[in-house]
Amino acid sequence: MKFGLFYELSVPRPWTRESERTVYDNALEQVKLADELGFDQVWAVEHHFLEEYSHCPAPELFLTACAMLTKRIRVGFGIVVCVPEFNHPIKIAERTAVLDILSGGRVEVGTGRSATWTELAGFNASPDVTKKSWDEFVRCLPKMWTSEKFEFEGEFWSMPRRTILPKVYQRPHPPMWVAVTSPGTELDAADRGLGSLGLTFGQFAEQERRIAEYRRRIQLCEPVGEFVNDQVSTVNFLYCHEDDAVALTTGRQMANHFNYLAAQLMSVRETYPSKSYPSLGLLPQLRRQATGPDASEQAGEGLCLGGPERITRTLRRWEACGVDRVNFLINTAESIPQADVLASLRLFGREVMPAFAGEKS
Amino acid sequence: MPLFGELELATIAGGLPVMKDLDTDAWELPKAEILQLACEIADGSRVLLPRALHPAIPEYVTFVVTRYPESPVGPFSVAQLRLMARAGVHPRGYVLGVVASSAGAVAALRERWGYPATIGEIALRRYHDRVAATVRQDGRSILELALVDPEIVSGGDLQYIHGVTLARVDGAAQLVQVDPHYTVHQASRGRPAVSRFEAVAWNAGPVELTTPIAASVSTCDTDLPRIRFVMDPEMPVIRGTRKVR
Repeated sequence: MKFGLFYELSVPRPWTRESERTVYDNALEQVKLADELGFDQVWAVEHHFLEEYSHCPAPELFLTACAMLTKRIRVGFGIVVCVPEFNHPIKIAERTAVLDILSGGRVEVGTGRSATWTELAGFNASPDVTKKSWDEFVRCLPKMWTSEKFEFEGEFWSMPRRTILPKVYQRPHPPMWVAVTSPGTELDAADRGLGSLGLTFGQFAEQERRIAEYRRRIQLCEPVGEFVNDQVSTVNFLYCHEDDAVALTTGRQMANHFNYLAAQLMSVRETYPSKSYPSLGLLPQLRRQATGPDASEQAGEGLCLGGPERITRTLRRWEACGVDRVNFLINTAESIPQADVLASLRLFGREVMPAFAGEKS
Repeated sequence: MPLFGELELATIAGGLPVMKDLDTDAWELPKAEILQLACEIADGSRVLLPRALHPAIPEYVTFVVTRYPESPVGPFSVAQLRLMARAGVHPRGYVLGVVASSAGAVAALRERWGYPATIGEIALRRYHDRVAATVRQDGRSILELALVDPEIVSGGDLQYIHGVTLARVDGAAQLVQVDPHYTVHQASRGRPAVSRFEAVAWNAGPVELTTPIAASVSTCDTDLPRIRFVMDPEMPVIRGTRKVR
């Protein structure tokens, strides 16, 4: 099992000139430490207009800084929003390639389509066709990275024959992933031979069922890229402390902060009836965890909050469910002081990671 | 923390509906027709939102025009303007203004569910290319809106967000949650169009419509339910919510 960090870069009010800079600086310091400790990846999302929840509209810039500060850790560019009003596919291919060169071939690419009215309407994009444009994008990207010349005529974008430069450093191209929140999206990933980048928290039984179906389905895939990425990644909260009680209290505070800010977002489905968004995705689960029966549990099922032994046990459960990678949110809205976040990472690196080192993932 | 509402309660406390108690019986309301239209609004509405609630990001309102062919007070129609918000982590529509088409409905909505209802004339009409609603009060039009070019969608694609309304209960101002059930039989969505909106008539002086979002129309069985939750309008709901039943 491999471990990574996952950044939304949330910035609490009141906003000052320095507050955003502090969040970015803290994140870079965390990534540098994570690299030294042997974490495998750092991911940064693309979000726009999501007040407090995520001030991360240009993940490739943040990840370039990460790459410059580190030696080994892989940089996960994503979720890149594959909607033409947000990103032209040529620009995605080019920016990915530049980041891959600068990082020495450490890029992973996560793809998605946005789930909020706040963002989609902000770019004047129709929610009805985001899945179709995402599909078109993910089929083009590998060819744009690997073909000497590329031309395309599609429903959402077209281009005449050109040489897209530079080419990615990795051969044949970086691993590709799909953001999975709504049930069923993992099957879209499987059908295209793409990794499942889960963005939901907890709940072993449900995840195990979905992972098993993904594994079955990807055997039959028609890969959009030159290789199949059949890995399953999930996201989790991490706060590791010698004292279970301290870790649970602090960690739950962080998780509640995250859930509370996420619940303020305006999902597409809240206001725009569309078969393109058949579920609320992440939000119902987060609301339930923040205020429902799950909230009264000592820690939400499957969350990595606690002492090293407790977290190791939890990760073993995830491993048994079929998860290959776990990406951690290690702070939200700066609710945990930076020194404590770094201490949590060090303890995790010292006491938990060795138990999973060298295992086949 | 997210932003909170900034309503000065004292400015509206005198005009709040007075509820007899919180022991309201439910009304079954079959075969209702609901036209809902959502629209983003300009900044400035937070002065209308109680301090217990967070504004939506971006700020928006919904108009809900409903025709109830059967009810304990006979057929009636209701039009609501709701400022959309969050009660903690839950989306809620804070009711700014309500017009009902019969005196019996106005009295019941005020006394039993705490709606700030006033009397008016409401028309909800279906045409081949649109579903249109108009609301008139004291001889003048205060709302004209339409769903244009309807296309059939699944009832499961519609979201009806629970409402909260500010009323006087046992002598104190309380936010009352009204959370109807819906069994949708037919649903369409379409392009939203608002051709007339008199904000002041809806207790919504600072509300300025900007970007239309979507419109939907449905035929459904619904209700006006028993009251389940009330909230202190001045306190974050995580501390100020009381379960009635």
